[in-house]
Amino acid sequence: MFAGPEGVPVTRELLHGSSSLPVWIVLLPLLAGALLYLIGEKRESLRKAVALGASFLALVGVAWLMPAALAGTVEYRLADFMQLGLFFKVDLVGWIFAGLIALVWFLAVLFSLAYMDHEHNRRRYYSFLIFTLGATLGVVFAGDFFTLFLFFELMTFSSFVLVIHEQNRQAMEAGALYLYLGVAGGLALFFAILLLYSATGTVSIVPLLGQLGGQRTLIYILFLIGFGIKAGVVPLHIWLPQAHPVAPSPASALLSGIMIKAGAYGILRVTLILFTPAEHGAASLWSYQSLLGYILLWLGIVTMFSGALMALLQQNAKRILAYSSVSQIGYIVMGLGAAAYMGLEGGMGFAGSVYHIINHAFFKAGLFMIVGTVYMLTHELELPRLGGLARKMPFAAAAFLVAACGIAGIPGFNGYASKTLLHDALLEAYKHFGFFSLYLAERIFVVTSALTVCYFIKLFRGLFLGPVPEKLDRSYRLPLSVRAVLGAFSLLILGIGLFPNLVLEKVILPAAHLLGFEGYGMKHLAHFHFFELHPLEAMGVVLVLALVIYLPGALRGWFNWAPPRWLSIHALLYQPLTRLFMLAVCRGGSFLDLAVGKIYDNSSSAARLWCRYIGDIDTSLDRLYERSGQVARGLADRSNRVDQALDEAYAKTGRAARRLVDRTTDLDHALDEAYAKTGQAARRLVDRAGDFDHALDQSYETAGRIARGLAREGKRFDEVLDEAYTKAGEGARRLAGKGREWENEQSRLREAGSAPSRWNPSQWNIKNLNFDSLLLAAVLGVILFIIFYYGR
Amino acid sequence: MNEAAASAVPVFAFLFPILMTPVIMFAGRRSGRLRNALALATTVVTFLAVISLYPRIIGGEVIQFTFFEILPELHISFRVDLLSFCLAALSAFIWVLCTIYSIDYMAREHAGSRYYPVLIFTLGACLGIFMAGDFFTLFIFFELMSLIAYILVIHEETPAALKAGYKYLIMTIIGGLALFFGIIITFELGGTVSLSGGPLVQETSLLAFLAFISFLIGFGMKAGIFPLHVWLPDAHPVAPSPASALLSGIMLKTGAYGLLRVIFHVFSVELVKSGGWDKIMGVIAVITILLGSAVALTQDDIKRRLAYSSIGQMGYILLGMSILNENTLIGDIFHIFTHAMIKSTLFLAAGAIIWKTGKRLISEMPGIGRQMPFTLGCFSLAALAMIGIPPLNGFLSKWTLGLGALEAGMPFYVLILLVSSLLNALYYLPIIVPAFFGGLESDHEHGFDIKEATPRMLVPVAILALGTLIFGLLPSNIPFDLSRLTASYLLRGGPF
Repeated sequence: MFAGPEGVPVTRELLHGSSSLPVWIVLLPLLAGALLYLIGEKRESLRKAVALGASFLALVGVAWLMPAALAGTVEYRLADFMQLGLFFKVDLVGWIFAGLIALVWFLAVLFSLAYMDHEHNRRRYYSFLIFTLGATLGVVFAGDFFTLFLFFELMTFSSFVLVIHEQNRQAMEAGALYLYLGVAGGLALFFAILLLYSATGTVSIVPLLGQLGGQRTLIYILFLIGFGIKAGVVPLHIWLPQAHPVAPSPASALLSGIMIKAGAYGILRVTLILFTPAEHGAASLWSYQSLLGYILLWLGIVTMFSGALMALLQQNAKRILAYSSVSQIGYIVMGLGAAAYMGLEGGMGFAGSVYHIINHAFFKAGLFMIVGTVYMLTHELELPRLGGLARKMPFAAAAFLVAACGIAGIPGFNGYASKTLLHDALLEAYKHFGFFSLYLAERIFVVTSALTVCYFIKLFRGLFLGPVPEKLDRSYRLPLSVRAVLGAFSLLILGIGLFPNLVLEKVILPAAHLLGFEGYGMKHLAHFHFFELHPLEAMGVVLVLALVIYLPGALRGWFNWAPPRWLSIHALLYQPLTRLFMLAVCRGGSFLDLAVGKIYDNSSSAARLWCRYIGDIDTSLDRLYERSGQVARGLADRSNRVDQALDEAYAKTGRAARRLVDRTTDLDHALDEAYAKTGQAARRLVDRAGDFDHALDQSYETAGRIARGLAREGKRFDEVLDEAYTKAGEGARRLAGKGREWENEQSRLREAGSAPSRWNPSQWNIKNLNFDSLLLAAVLGVILFIIFYYGR
Repeated sequence: MNEAAASAVPVFAFLFPILMTPVIMFAGRRSGRLRNALALATTVVTFLAVISLYPRIIGGEVIQFTFFEILPELHISFRVDLLSFCLAALSAFIWVLCTIYSIDYMAREHAGSRYYPVLIFTLGACLGIFMAGDFFTLFIFFELMSLIAYILVIHEETPAALKAGYKYLIMTIIGGLALFFGIIITFELGGTVSLSGGPLVQETSLLAFLAFISFLIGFGMKAGIFPLHVWLPDAHPVAPSPASALLSGIMLKTGAYGLLRVIFHVFSVELVKSGGWDKIMGVIAVITILLGSAVALTQDDIKRRLAYSSIGQMGYILLGMSILNENTLIGDIFHIFTHAMIKSTLFLAAGAIIWKTGKRLISEMPGIGRQMPFTLGCFSLAALAMIGIPPLNGFLSKWTLGLGALEAGMPFYVLILLVSSLLNALYYLPIIVPAFFGGLESDHEHGFDIKEATPRMLVPVAILALGTLIFGLLPSNIPFDLSRLTASYLLRGGPF
């Protein structure tokens, strides 16, 4: 183990206490936030009291945790909440952040008391302000990524309400960007944590690099996106310069001073803990971590430089501060990258980063509140319309000067300490590896620091120097609470600036030990001399460079150049991307949906057509049957008539025959008579011989007459028969004619009846779903059954 | 595991609402109040009857009851296991809330004496589906529910409603026929269609595949999966809001339930995977998720947006079925709970807005959150749950599903879930944010007064919205425990 010099405990026994205090510290503001909403619109002083009390209690609670955090960790597990269990764990790193959050939040609430008096909808503002405090504390008290994610999302959503507080168009647009990027970042985190859990079976924040397997790069990128969006790392920063300026100033102070640090905190936890090998890890893992660190370092360099450059070009005071936040986050990320790059030797980068997080919280929150004070009194943020306020509000000007010196890194103010550490971390990395790229990074660092000085000169000149615009020429009085808050920030900045070793030795070094840093860097840190020639000389270079840049720039008006809109990253990258995405999604989805809908519509009309065909076949079959039936009936009718006629004919023939028989009988009688007469005659012949011939003659004659009569009768019968046949034929013909007429009439009727099609399914509903359809369904079913039965 | 436990409680549970239907119908002729009271009492009694099974079900019993035999091997039988219980309890619960909500909502509508009997009958049919002991019984109740629900869909009797209803009816009949075909094949291959045995089909064959496709069409039609979803965005929005809540919240789930039964009782997980059928479901699920979410984005009618969102969410459930490991099954069943609660909340809240203000279009809604803060608050909670924001239950189902997808080695599916979540945010937040913070031009800072719907409409919405928080955050999470038990019961025959 590292054998440290005096003052630093050599081996620290970590005490793992268990206490529910962290949970209560988180829960108290959450509940107070809800309570503030219930208090109602009217009770102003009660609301202020509750808000101030809640933030103060949170501060006290965090302070209460200090000894435990210095001695070890405080853990508390809420088993089975959210099924995986919520885990709270306060270690020194988390505690540093928590202390910062609670302190700055308390000051911001204090500042709000005066500031918000002129704003609308205070109930909502205070409620969400305090609620967000709970969520933010939850982020740094979280003991695993799952819990961290929960509070991170809560923070995103509740701080959204703070961003859009003004509810004008600008605020709504900025808020929408903030919200959607926040959601997207949350989803990236979600994916990362899911991958982490599925690879290792745990979501704890412990060194796990060895177990992450092949997906480690993906996991890291997702974490970086998720936390980077919140932190405002270029190129994910686009929401920040829009959202921070539109919020009310105390909320901007918190957004810029504190909440972006939640992103930095996440990157710290992931890079310096999760993505480190467990003890005695293989060399390849160390080199992997080193690579990540290198990438992170350059991300930080790019962020700090572009942020500073953009800040220099802004005209709106709060936008300058917002871009300045982007730039300062770049410093922090660069420090974290340097720490990871150096592996176990990276104590310097870590210390610089954490120190800068602390310092940035103080000076940036202070600056936002000073600008907020100016806005509260003048309702103006554009630099060209401001000026000369140093005479009007000297207190604010002095506070601003202190904070600006802090951020610029003037010796004696707090920024100097952290920037010196960060600069040394870069130099150390360069000395260690000797890459030219690191030398370049160090140069950019110096230029960026000079740019920082430049834009603060610009901001200070714009706000406080020069002539006072006529509109603003009146006397201003700063409320007492505002003075107190600004004074507190100035004191903090000066205090840390004058005694930089105090914070370093008390909290940052133990925290660095906690993360396992060792070696030369830590030795160097343990007795770091800030006010030595070397760091002071570096600062002098920065100041000279700043003057060299600022003087010609200000004279020629370089800093008033507004970059064209198409040059912004928003127009270059995000707009085309989102447009493409929305186009693909909306157009693609709608097109597919409409296409499917159309297919259905077409298929239904096709089915209808098909069904109409079937229906047509059906009706024509029907018609065929009907017609054949008619024909058959006609035929039957006709044959019936023929039959009748035949019958009649037969009957008539019978009658004729009977008559014939009668006649024949007559003939017979006549014959009989004739025979009798012949007998008589013969007898008479015997009697009378002479008359015989004559009589014979006479009888033959009679017989001949009878035969002739008979023949005549037969002829008449023939005529009668003929007549009967003729009549039968006529009857049949008449019948056929009538049948044809009826048929014609029938077909006319049918044509008239078939005009409205009965196949119109769109008129179907449950009221007329008829037996036909059921039958059709049944038939379909049977057909399917047959198909499958024979398909075996 | 006690397979033989017999009880008439399930029969009572589904028969009681059906028997009460004519009573409610005749009561409606006498007085509206009596009718409403009877309808509410029926749902409450049914809910209690279902809940009374809880100790036995959780103890590992499977309750069976055979009514009578129609044909050899074709019974009307009932069987309640964990999965049945989950869905039956869920539907009875949501039905109670929707009936309470209906009392005031339907007071303004016509034909209440048709609405309530149909509502109650549908409950009976729904429970019949969930408690059916074989596919034949399931089919009968499935058709009953689908056809009766038609009356709910066309309740307004506007041309749009009739048109949507016609579409619904035709699709339902096609789905029913496909289902029938599937059941016949199953009967032919397995000799029975009972749910109590093991898998009915032992090996893949063309016929088995045909049966699978038929089931997928039949149940998928009801679940609204692509490309069978076309009826859903028409039918759900035109129904009265409590009926939309039930259609989207519960009746879609009958399709998911049927598919689960098919996967585990007709086939088996191994069979589905060896046939590569899970990939079919996976592809359909991905398309369904993206399509539902994407088209929801373009809708301006709030109920249509919700209906498309339902399609996307059913895609989640189908996605879980296509992966078929323990975590995705837990996620699946929990998402059935989740989505039922969320979507009912959303539809009921949307209904309250329409009822109170007559506004249906989202573009007309800026500032409405200041008029109806409570309703919109519940709406927001449910919408955030749908996006998957942590302490709410939507996050848990998404987490479990995602975990299962990763275990199966399919990070692509997680990506789909995430894109869909982002789209969820993109179509829900533009409702919520302007509702609370927009529309300042139209009224003065204090120029709005609170105009909430009646308490009888707000209480069900509030209960459901709180449910999204309670069943996400709190440790004793009954739906999640039930999902966990059910998943292991389905996969391994029981955790007991």
